[in-house]
Order: sequence, then C-alpha cells, then structure tokens
Amino acid sequence: MTTTGLLFTIVGLALIGWLSARMRAAAFRRPAIQRFGSLPVHHAWVVALWVLGPPLTFLVIWSLTSPALVTDRVLASPLAAALPASAFERASILSDARALAQGSGGVFHPAAVRLAPAYAAAQRHYDWLASAAALILALAGGVFAFVRVSPAFSARWRLENGVVLLLLAAALVAILTTAGIVGSLLYEAARFFAMVPAIDFLTGTRWSPQVIDPADPGASLGALPLFWGTFFIGAIIAMAVALPLGLMSAIYLGQYARPRTRAWAKPALEVLAGIPTVVYGYFAALSVAPRVRDLGLFLGIADASSESALAAGLVMGIMIVPFVSSTADDALRAVPAEMRDGSLALGATPSETIRHVLIPAALPGIAGGVLLAISRAIGETMIVVMAASGVATLTLDPFASTTTVTKQIVDLLTGEAEFDSAKTLAAFALGLVLFAATLLLNVVALVIVKRYREAYE
Amino acid sequence: MNSAAPLAARRRQRNAAERRFRLAALAAVCLSLGFVVFLLGTMAVEGARGFVETRVTLPIDLKAAGLTATDGEARFAAAIDDAATRAFGRNGPACLAEGSWMHLRDAVRQDPALLVRPGSIELPASSPVDVAAKHDGTPAAEAAVARLTAAGALSRGIDWAFLTGADATDPVRAGIWSALKGSLLTLTVTLLLAFPIGVLAALYLEEYAPRNRWTDFIEVSINNLAAVPSIIFGLLGLAVFLGTLHLPRSAPLVGGLTLALMTMPVIVIAGRNAIRAVPPSIRDAALAVGATPVQVMFDHVLPLAMPGILTGTILGLARALGETAPLLMIGMRAFIAAAPRGFTDPATVLPVQIFLWSDQIDRGFVEKTSAAIIVLLVLLLSMSGIAIWLRQRFEARR
Repeated sequence: MTTTGLLFTIVGLALIGWLSARMRAAAFRRPAIQRFGSLPVHHAWVVALWVLGPPLTFLVIWSLTSPALVTDRVLASPLAAALPASAFERASILSDARALAQGSGGVFHPAAVRLAPAYAAAQRHYDWLASAAALILALAGGVFAFVRVSPAFSARWRLENGVVLLLLAAALVAILTTAGIVGSLLYEAARFFAMVPAIDFLTGTRWSPQVIDPADPGASLGALPLFWGTFFIGAIIAMAVALPLGLMSAIYLGQYARPRTRAWAKPALEVLAGIPTVVYGYFAALSVAPRVRDLGLFLGIADASSESALAAGLVMGIMIVPFVSSTADDALRAVPAEMRDGSLALGATPSETIRHVLIPAALPGIAGGVLLAISRAIGETMIVVMAASGVATLTLDPFASTTTVTKQIVDLLTGEAEFDSAKTLAAFALGLVLFAATLLLNVVALVIVKRYREAYE
Repeated sequence: MNSAAPLAARRRQRNAAERRFRLAALAAVCLSLGFVVFLLGTMAVEGARGFVETRVTLPIDLKAAGLTATDGEARFAAAIDDAATRAFGRNGPACLAEGSWMHLRDAVRQDPALLVRPGSIELPASSPVDVAAKHDGTPAAEAAVARLTAAGALSRGIDWAFLTGADATDPVRAGIWSALKGSLLTLTVTLLLAFPIGVLAALYLEEYAPRNRWTDFIEVSINNLAAVPSIIFGLLGLAVFLGTLHLPRSAPLVGGLTLALMTMPVIVIAGRNAIRAVPPSIRDAALAVGATPVQVMFDHVLPLAMPGILTGTILGLARALGETAPLLMIGMRAFIAAAPRGFTDPATVLPVQIFLWSDQIDRGFVEKTSAAIIVLLVLLLSMSGIAIWLRQRFEARR
C-alpha cells in the first residue's frame, strides 16, 4: 500500500471512530435523567485520537529504522555475495540499487541493476509488514477506546490530557531539530576527522579540495584560509559598511526625524531585509563586482579580481543595514529619557547628547546587535556563492579573490562526488565549525543584551 | 565682554558640529534608501525587458511545400527554414527561435486555411536577434536586426510563454512556471507542517509549560534555531532526509520538510507573542463559566491570537519562499524541463531558478533572470502586504 493510501485509510478509520463514538455517546443522553461530565463530541475525539495516535507514532519511528532493515535484508540475499568488499563501493552500489528500485532513471552500476529487484522485493516486504502493523494498531486503539465509551467514562478529562500530550510533542520537535542538527553534524564530522586529523583541518593553510591525495588528505584540506575569508568578508568588510550606515540611520530615524518621516522611512529601510539573498547575490555579481574590479584597476592594483572580497562584503553589508539599524534603534530607545533630558538641560546639543550620553549608555545593546549581525553575515551563503571566488587565499587585499566557509560547503556538496568521500564529509566539518561559531556569537550577544537590560530595569 | 567672543566662537563651532552630525545621519538614511531604489530600479528596468519578446513576421506559403496538418517536426521545421531563407536571405532561419515549428503547427491547426493559401505568421526571434533588438548585440545579430527592420518584419509583444513555460536551454523559450509550481508545492509542505506544529508548540509554551529546566531547554532551542544559518538546515536535510530516510532527491517534499524546520521557530516566536497579548480576563471569564483549559485555549485564546499568528506565519513563509541555500544542498538545482506533477517529482524553486539562470553564459538569460526576480519580489511583496494588512486590521480592532 502506498504511504498516501495508508494515511488516508487511517484518517478514514479515525473518522468512522469519531462518528460512531459520537452516536453511541449521544444515545446515553436520551433519557436526560442525569447530567454528564462529557459531551458526545469529547467521546468522539478520544476515540479518534486513539485511532490516529498509535499508528502514526509507529510510522514515524518505522520510517527512521526501516531503511536499515531493508538494506540488511538485501545484503543477506545470495545476490549480495558478489558485492565488492570495499565499504565505499558497496554503499554506492546499494544507493544506486535503491534509486533504481524507486524508479528513477540515470546511469547505474551494472551490479546495482542486478540488485534492484532484490531491493524492490525487500522494500515491498517491509512496506507490507508496516502497513499491516499500522492498520492493526489503528483498529486495536479504536476498539479499545470505543468499548470504554460509557456515561461513567470521563472523556472530557482524557481529552484534556491527550491534547496536552499533543502540544508537548509539538514543542519537542524543536528539541529534535536541534538534536538532529548537532547529531548529524557531529556524526559526519567525526567520520571526516577519522580520515583527516583535526589539527591539519583547523590550522592548515592549503585548501584545494579538487585534488585530494588519498594518502594524505589533510595536506589539501587546511581550512584556515576559509575561516579568514569568512571573517574578512562577513565581520570586517560587511561591518565596515553596515555599522556606520545602520547606526547613523537609527540615530537619524530615532532621534532627529519627524514621526511622519519615520513612519514611512523605517518600513522602506526594512524592505532591504525582505529581499531574498539570491537577489543580492545576483546584484553583487552583475552590477557591483565589475565596478569594484574597475576601481581596483584604476587604483593601480593589477590583480584586482572580478570575484573580490570587497564586492561580496559591500553587498552583504547593505543587506545587514536594516538589522543593525533596528537593534541600534531599540537599544537607543531603551536608554531612560531622564539621561537624555538631563544632558539636554545642561546645554549639550542633540549630537553631543547622542555621542556622549546615549551611545555609551546603549553600547552593550548595540554591541549585542552587532554580534548578531556578524553571526548572520558569516552564515550568509548566496551572496558569496554568486559573487565571491572559489579560490582560497590568505590575504589582506580586499580586491583579491577570497572564499568563505559557506561558499565551500555549497561547492563541495554540489559536485558529483560520493557521499562518503573526504571531500563531501569536509562540508559537514565546515558546517560544524560554522554552527559552533554562530552559536557562540548568538549566546554571547544574548548575554550582553540581557545584562545590560537588567542594569536599567 | 572679553570672554564673550571665544564663547560665541565656541557656540558657532558646536552648532556647526551639530549640523554636520545631523547631515551625516541624514546621509546614511538617504544612502541606504538610495540603495533600495537603485536595486529595485535596476531589477525593474532589466526585468521588464524579460517580459517582452521580439517577434518576426514571416511570410509563408505552405501550399508550395505541400504540408499537411499531421506532419511531424522535420517537415514543419523545413517549411519554416525554407520560408525564412526566401524572405530574409541565407541567414534567415538563424533569426528565428529554435521551437518555431511548434508555433507554425499550432497556427495550422487553428487555421487550416494557411495550408492552401499564402499568408504570414508571427514567430519569436532567436536569442541573439532578441538581444540585439533590445540593446547591443553581436555585429552579426545587429546586421540581421537592421535587415529585418528594413523588411518591416520585426515587432514586439508581451512574452506570455515566460509565465507558462518551463526551463529551457534557449533563453527565448525559457519560462518560470515549472519553478513557480515547485515553489508552490514546497511551500505547501512547509505550511502544512510548520503551521500546526508551530502553533501547538507556542500554545504549550505559553499555556501549559511548567517553569523548569526542560521548558527552558525547549525555549533556548527554539530561539537558537531561529538564528542558525539556513545552510546548516540544508546540511541537516541532506544528512537526515536524504542520507538516513532515503527520501527522493530534488523533491518538493524534502525541500518543504527542510524549510518547515527553518520556519517553525519563526511561527513559534510570533505565536507566543500573539498568545501572550490575549488579555488574561478572557481566560478567567471562560474558566469561570466552566470551560476546561483545552476549551479555553481552542475556543477563546487561539481565535483572538490568530491574526498575530497568521502574520508571523506569512512572514515566515515569505522567508522560506526566498530561501536558496538549503535547497541547493538537497539537490533542487537540477535542470527541470517539465513542471513537477507531485510532491516527489524532481523540481526546482524560484530562487534556485534565478541562481541557475544567473550562471548561464547566454546574454539572453540576463533579462530572464531579472524578470524571474521581479516575479519573486512581487510574490514576496504581496505576502508582506497581506501580513501588514492583517496586523493593522487586528490592531484597529483592539
């Protein structure tokens, strides 16, 4: 049975359970002698939840475990005896066979073509088992709940508990996602560090994943230039643009502008935050990069690249402006009005008040906002994928080509490589570093902002 | 009197500094807003050209060619080549787009009279001619345009096929419908998953969660997920949905799942704010007349919080619609020549299509890319417009 068909059947069973439980419960009320704690609809929902809950929980768990079971069954079949011993080759043939069994086209290994029928058979076998088990669970749950429909049964409170469980499960999805991110990054990165020593990866200065020497993969997978490039583009160049523009915009809109100007200028500025990054990337590659290169040549820099760090960083800075400006605006507004009024009353001009009173008082909030902005900039992908170069260089020259962690993750994973090679696993190691860096920045920013808030409240 | 002069000078100086500072702040605002205008303006000018196609009016006499309506591609193509050579010289056939024979076939089916008497037909121009007719092209194409203009054969029209067609290798024939449909399918999956889970999680955290370590952990996870770079979600999708669960590659299903994980924290955060804004008196009144906590929640709190939740959901979906990087990770970057029919067909989405076209060398794709960007921006702006409208209506009522 197909997944959709199975789901429809289960939902259909739940509907039948709902209707029949409602009818049965409605029948109690006819004599109207006593008042009941539960309405018929409560009974109906309890039965429906009993029909839906067990099989759906089972199917979620099953979908996580069954692929391994199917593979085991295929490997146990006599056809699999001819498979090569190498784990990489074996995995690639198996994944080809899986793709064939699922009906996708393409070029496949001949061994995979032989194995595909066995794969399809194993898949069918387990699908059939799972469908039967899910249906039995649905029926059993429904019958169990249905026989308990009686005037004495407090369906209303059962339903309350069931709904709370449902809500808790929804809230747990967030934890599962976090666990999934950390788990998958750690697992794949651990496999990577089994092939390449961590010290080579973190401190090596040569990054050329196109040619990896199988004997010493660490020699061409030194990620230091990527870390530098990410920091250079995201934290230095982008912030050099975003910090003055964002802070000064916040000062003007928050302290000088008339309310009517602010009412239209602030949303207009926030349009920048709503533009998809792929549009910025296109703009950076099409309009900004050639001009930056011309500027570099004009300044006499002979090797000015059309994929320079400056072009990507400039556009990224523009993208971050509304973010910096709104956090700076919040921080400036949070400064108690007495401080500003006191300064103005002593005869300071508005700009002196802003520079000597408001900004120092709001500094922790602004710094927290800047850290969050940096975390967003270094995680930004499309601008650097489209405008930065793929060549990793350790350089201070903004006109030279520089690459970043995110750009390399995309490049490593969109090639034709095997899923298990050092090259693709390197992407997960880079992802782990990126995740850790952004997490650290976010936590530090939150701590700064929180402390500062406590100081004034 | 002696001290007044330096004081006045100093005041002038301070006032000048004040003016300078104020001007600098104004300049920052103008510069940022100027960039908005510049970016949107560039895209609008470039993209408007992408919606216009250059057409060539070709005089054709099918009677001489002996064509019938049921003939195949080869005979129609030959008839067009023949007519183009006769009308515009040796380079004539190169002035017409690759798929012109389909237009002729459709025209013949619609008006069989074309088969027996000489007539003329409007066909899309080839990409080099199209580019040359709109702005600077290659010398050969410019010459062809001059020749065609002299013959009075060139005209312009709105390219409806751009909105209804699929991706193609020839920019003249490339359309965005397949990418648009991919985006719709992906967002459907995202909405169906992220909305219920996000709303239920928000309800739990606001209405039920006891103050303990577990609740704190859930809260920290959600707030942190909202700040995780999107590409990390792509890595998660690649490792879990493709690597462990073996779901089909490039499918809207996988894209929707990945984006749902990304959108959910946004909905939870917006939902919690909206639920917190519901006055406690509503809850107390409902509880006082005997409603159970679940009844209070679903019958009273949720309806009042719904506009706020919907605003957050639409903004979250708008972000998901513009997202590119995680979808590249799960393989939604393939060349898709036909619109996907279901959630498991290989598909691409609008932003990825923009990315793919921006990589093309053919100059005709430059304006197609900008035109696709316009479509994407119009969609996003209308979504934020709906969100703002909802918010204002909601605030006016309270």
